[in-house]
Amino acid sequence: MNLYKIIKQNQKLAEKRNPAFDTNRFAKFLIYFMIVYWAALFLFFGVMLPVMFEELVPNMEPYHIMNQGFIYVMLADFLMRFMAQPSVSQEIKPYLLMPVKRKKLISMLLLKSGLDSYNFMWFFVYVPFAFLTVIRFYGFGGMFLYLLGIWLIFVFNNYWYLLCKLLLGEKTLWLLLPTAIFGALGAAEFLLDGLPISRFTMDLGEGFIEGNPWSFLFIIACIGVMFLINLKLQQRMIYNELSKKEDTKIKHVSEYKFLDKYGEVGEYIRLEIKLITRNKTVKTQFRMGLIVMLGFSFALAFTDVYDGSYMTSFICLYNYAVLPIMTLGQVMSFEGNYIDGLMSRKESIFNLLRAKYYLTTLIILVPFLIMMFPIAKGKITILAAIAYLIFVVGFVFFMLLQLAVYNTRTLPLNANLMKSNKSSNWIQGLVTGCAFMLPLLVDKLLSALLPEAVAHIILIVIGVGFIATHNLWIKNIYKRFMKRRYQNMEEFRASR
Amino acid sequence: MEIKIEQLRKNFGEKVAVDIDTYTIHSGDMLGLVGNNGAGKTTLFRLMLDLLKADNGNVHIGENNVCENEDWKAHTGAFIDDGFLIDYLTPEEYFHFVGKMYGMKKEEVDERVAQFERFMNGEVIGHKKLIRDYSAGNKQKIGIISALLHQPQVLILDEPFNFLDPSSQSIIKHLLKEYNQQTGATILVSSHNLNHTVDVCPRIALMEHGHIIRDIDNADGSAEKELEDYFNVNVIE
Repeated sequence: MNLYKIIKQNQKLAEKRNPAFDTNRFAKFLIYFMIVYWAALFLFFGVMLPVMFEELVPNMEPYHIMNQGFIYVMLADFLMRFMAQPSVSQEIKPYLLMPVKRKKLISMLLLKSGLDSYNFMWFFVYVPFAFLTVIRFYGFGGMFLYLLGIWLIFVFNNYWYLLCKLLLGEKTLWLLLPTAIFGALGAAEFLLDGLPISRFTMDLGEGFIEGNPWSFLFIIACIGVMFLINLKLQQRMIYNELSKKEDTKIKHVSEYKFLDKYGEVGEYIRLEIKLITRNKTVKTQFRMGLIVMLGFSFALAFTDVYDGSYMTSFICLYNYAVLPIMTLGQVMSFEGNYIDGLMSRKESIFNLLRAKYYLTTLIILVPFLIMMFPIAKGKITILAAIAYLIFVVGFVFFMLLQLAVYNTRTLPLNANLMKSNKSSNWIQGLVTGCAFMLPLLVDKLLSALLPEAVAHIILIVIGVGFIATHNLWIKNIYKRFMKRRYQNMEEFRASR
Repeated sequence: MEIKIEQLRKNFGEKVAVDIDTYTIHSGDMLGLVGNNGAGKTTLFRLMLDLLKADNGNVHIGENNVCENEDWKAHTGAFIDDGFLIDYLTPEEYFHFVGKMYGMKKEEVDERVAQFERFMNGEVIGHKKLIRDYSAGNKQKIGIISALLHQPQVLILDEPFNFLDPSSQSIIKHLLKEYNQQTGATILVSSHNLNHTVDVCPRIALMEHGHIIRDIDNADGSAEKELEDYFNVNVIE
C-alpha cells in the first residue's frame, strides 16, 4: 500500500504542476467551471428523474426504469472518459526502473484507477435519485447497497474503458471492439423479444438494492476478469512500448516538387503538409476536421436534413470554417516543438504564417466544390456560396491567425489527442468563439437589414478586402509575434 | 565576424544565470566555453542567439544588435539542442529546408552535405527515416551539419561532442578546426570535455555562476593544466 500512496501522491503533484495548467488561469477556471456545471446538471437529473418516471410510467418504480437504462449510462460514461481520463500506460514509465515488480506496479496503478474519485461522478445523479426513490421502501441500508452496486458498475466501466483505450493506442482499428460490443448489446436489446438487456440490468439493480449476494458477486467477478485482462495486456504492452523503435520508417518520401517554384513560402507549405501527414496528433485533428467538414458538405448537398434558409447558410458557412477553426485555432502550438530552430532563421515565422494561410485556403476549396451540388439543386445560391467562402478566407482567417501571437503552449506532435489538448488560453477561447459566431451574426444582421444579394455582396467586399491585404496583416501579426517572442519562446519551451 | 557582449545580465529568479560586463570574441576566433553545470554556458548562447530576453545589456554580432534586427541570422549558424530540429522530416528534407531558408539550391545543399560524408559515417543519409527515429548521436550530427550548411561566419555549438562516438568526436574536432582556418569564421563551442576543448580552441573562457572568470590563451595548448587545476579544486572542496 506504500507504493499505492506514493503513486497517488506523485499523480496529484503531476496534475498540480502541469505547466499547461499551473500558469494558465483560464484553463483552471474552465476546468472548475465544467466540474461545477456537470455536477449541477447531474444533480438536476437526479432530482427530476424520479418525478418524471413516476409521471411517465406510473405502474413501475422509478428505480426499475432507471436500472433498465444502465447500459445507456454506461455508454455515456464510457465516452466521457475519453475526454478526461488518462490511460495507465501513460503513467507507468517513471516507475519502470524502480526496484518494484512490474506486475505489482501495474496492479497498483490499476487499483488506483479503480478507486479514483472519477468513478463516483455519477453519484451526483444516483445519490439524490436513490434518496428519493429507494429509501422509502428499503431504508438507508437499501440505498447504501444500491449505491455500492452502482459504484461497482462504474469501476467495471473504468476497466473496460482502460482496456479499449490501451488497444486503441496500439491501432485505431480496435475502435471496432467497443463498437461491436455496444452494437451487439443494442442488437440483443432491440432484435430479441422482451428487451433482454434492460430486463437484465433492472434485475441486477434490484439485486443490489435487496442485497442479493449473487448480484454483487456477478459484478465483482466481471471487475476481476476485466482487471486481469488489463493487467496481462498492460504487461505485454509495456514491452511493446519499451522496444518500440522505428514507428515511422517511410516507404516513399514525397517531395511535392511543384512547390519549389514558390520559394520560401513553398518550402513552408511543404513543411505544413508534412506536419499534417506525419504526426499522429496533427493528423488526427486534421482528419476529424476534414470528416466534420465533408459531413456538413455532403449532408447539405445530398440530404434534406439542413433544408431551410437559416440552416443552409449556417451549414454552408461552417463547412468552410470548421477545419480552419480546428487547425489555425492552434497555430504555432505544434511549432512550439522546434521554435528555437525557426527563430534562428530570418523572417521564418512570417513565411510560415503565409504558408498556413495559403494552404488552408486551398483546402477549403474542397467544400466549395462540394457546394456545387446544393447550388445545382437550388438549395443555396452561387452568390451565397462564394460570399461565405470569401468572407471565411478573408475575415475568419484574419481572426484565427491572430492567435499566432497568443498561442504559447507547445502541443506534442504525437500524443493522444485528448491528452494533448491543453493549450487553451482565454484569448484562444475568445477568438475561436468569435470565429465561430461572428460570420453567422454578420450574415444574419446584413440579411435582416438589406436584400440577401446585397448582404452577400457586402460579405464578398469585406472578404476581398482582407484577402487583398493579407500580406500586410500577416506582417503585422509577425511583428507583434516578434515583440512577444521572448515570452512566447519561454512558454513554448516550458510546455514541451 | 566579431561578437561583442556588453553589460549582459540574465537572472532566473534570484539566481544569476549570466553576468558579463564586456567580452569580445574577435573575428576568426575559435572560443571554447567551459564551466560546470549551471555555469551559464547555454544561457549565454541563447542570449547571443536572441532566444532569450536579457535583463540588461546587449550582444552584437558584427554591426547588429541581435535583439534589434534579424540581419545577423543570415550569417550565423547554431545548434543548441533538439529544439532546433524538425523531427518529422528526414535528414535530407531537413537539410533542404534549412538550405532553402538561406537561399541555397537543392544541388548546392546536396553538394555541401556530401562534404560531411565521413562525419555521417553512412548513418544519416539515405535511410528514409524521420529524424525522430534517429539515435541521439545521429540527431546531434544532423544538428551540427545543418548549422554548418550555409557556411556561416559565426558558428555556435552547444556541447557538440555530446552523444557522439569517439570517431565522430575526432572528426568533428577536425572539421571545426578546418572550417575555422578555411573560412575565418568565428566559432563558439561549449563543452564539458576539457581535452577536446583544449585540442580545438586557441582561446578558452571559463564560466562560473554566470561570470566569465578566466579568459585563457590556449594558442600553445597550455590551458589544459589550468583547467584541470580549476575543476579538480572544485572536487577537493
